[in-house]
Amino acid sequence: MNQLNNGFTLFLSLLVEAMPFLLLGVLFSSLLLFFIDERKLVEKMPKNALLGALVGSMIGFLFPVCECGNVPVARRLLMQGVPTPVAIGFLLAAPTINPIVIWATWTAFRDQPEIVVLRIVLSLASATIIGFVFSLQQDLSPFLQPTLARYIKYNPPPKPESKRKGKYYQVEEQATANTILQSGTYILGGKAGRSTKIGGIKQTNIATSNLNKPFADKLRLLLDNIIQELRELGGVMVLGSAIAAAIQVLAPRELILSLGAGPITSILAMLILAAVVSICSTVDSFFALSFASTFTSGSLLAFLVFGPMIDIKGVGLMLSIFKPKALLYIFALAGQLTLLFTLFLNLHVM
Amino acid sequence: MTSIQKQKQKIKNQLLPWLDVIAITAWGILMLKYWFTGKLNLLIHPDYFWLVIVGAIGLLIVGFFKGIQLWQQCRRYEAPNNQQQHINLFPPGWGSALLLTTAILGFIITPRVFASQIALERGVTELLGATRAQPQAFRPTIRPEERSLIDWVRTLNVYPEPDAYTGQKVKVQGFVIHPPELDQNHLLLARFVITCCAADGYPAGLPVHLGENRNQYPPDTWVEVEGQMFTENIANKRQLTIKASSLKKIPQPENPYSY
Repeated sequence: MNQLNNGFTLFLSLLVEAMPFLLLGVLFSSLLLFFIDERKLVEKMPKNALLGALVGSMIGFLFPVCECGNVPVARRLLMQGVPTPVAIGFLLAAPTINPIVIWATWTAFRDQPEIVVLRIVLSLASATIIGFVFSLQQDLSPFLQPTLARYIKYNPPPKPESKRKGKYYQVEEQATANTILQSGTYILGGKAGRSTKIGGIKQTNIATSNLNKPFADKLRLLLDNIIQELRELGGVMVLGSAIAAAIQVLAPRELILSLGAGPITSILAMLILAAVVSICSTVDSFFALSFASTFTSGSLLAFLVFGPMIDIKGVGLMLSIFKPKALLYIFALAGQLTLLFTLFLNLHVM
Repeated sequence: MTSIQKQKQKIKNQLLPWLDVIAITAWGILMLKYWFTGKLNLLIHPDYFWLVIVGAIGLLIVGFFKGIQLWQQCRRYEAPNNQQQHINLFPPGWGSALLLTTAILGFIITPRVFASQIALERGVTELLGATRAQPQAFRPTIRPEERSLIDWVRTLNVYPEPDAYTGQKVKVQGFVIHPPELDQNHLLLARFVITCCAADGYPAGLPVHLGENRNQYPPDTWVEVEGQMFTENIANKRQLTIKASSLKKIPQPENPYSY
């Protein structure tokens, strides 16, 4: 009983801390969804693969989404004809390289600014490298979900002006059910294989058409989007916090400590933890902080860099873009890169 | 679809948006309630109270506007425009139901302060003399008897030679832990330090030499200890210890954590 109550207190404290950040993230993402023309953004993307991956990694500054919100945005970018390295760079880096997460990390690690800086640098580097690696694959379609691949094949990015005409009213009906998250429905919702209808097609235009809407309508859609995201991400966050609290109570820190205190084992332990715990990138720095006194700085960084890229909670979302095989490659690459970087830091710097 | 199913679907579509509103509003109220009742102290660092308060107000505003919108739709007998069929993470209503359930549990169950059990699990014994690498606040000019327990631990961190403090007066408050390493005449006086929220709390403490059996001070009792510092060999380690001249049971402080 005692244990349960302790666990519940932990759970509540995680939630109470995370809720304001979640609300802020949802507000930002909803505002930007309706007030930034992503089509113009697409036109400005560089063609060079390495540069593209780097730029993609930094789009997070414009779309401050955590790892729950980046998947639909990345998918929309791909569908709009953004080069692959840009989209993959965005997918992997956006949850870390955005103002809210950087601020949250800074709040948590005020007294260790090097952690904040290294988190940004390492995330940028990993995302850029993985994005670049994927650019070597000329035709990405074997890696993508069939429906998405087919859409990109038969709908090459059109000229911005021609696409905007006549879509307005069509979008109107869709927009009422609009949300960042629902784009993945057609695969996870069991409608896969229906090649004629892609949940996201019309939605790709929502952001642009929204710019033309009357202000009152915009506000209404904004409110709906906020509610939708709060509900979805709030639910995910409750589950994540419950798992995190359960782990903290059931596996005393002495046990996790025993997983490894060495330069390599401590990193491996934290990588596993990052994948399992699945907490949102806006709050994971606070979680990592609870290990600050017991784990090496390198392994904390491993947690902070790897966690936002890959976690169990996000796999479902990412499967709406990639086939499992491609996802496995991304996992492996991200894990290895993080391990290498942080191991170097553990052995030679800190 | 039969008409009954349709009817059910209709009712569901009417009710689910309200579930969202209730769940979001409940969380706003819960967070404000913790603030008003002072329980927020048990959950997070006072520096971030404003964050929680602003967040709570934000949630209430969102809930309020959505509520108004739904209310107007109801009066005009419109179908709610917030269609539920496009949810991919949970079946319809689950996200809100989870949020609402948690909020209700939060209203029923009072959060409690961490005690000796958690302290032992989080390795207080290891922290007997060493806490974090970087002390967050350090005021060396303070008079010894005015130092709090955490001030002592931090001071010790900066200058770890126990003999340097021998004979200094001590007056500190904390809760009692009976670690297995200490014999019957000793107890560990500890407090939790939190940097952000309760999830990152870690215990810090000093051993107390009682000169009598510790059983009249069971674990988790809050006590105020007065005495002098001296060095003792505990578990084969020279350890700064408080030689207690008086122990007084005190009620649990309003704000049990240190920062």
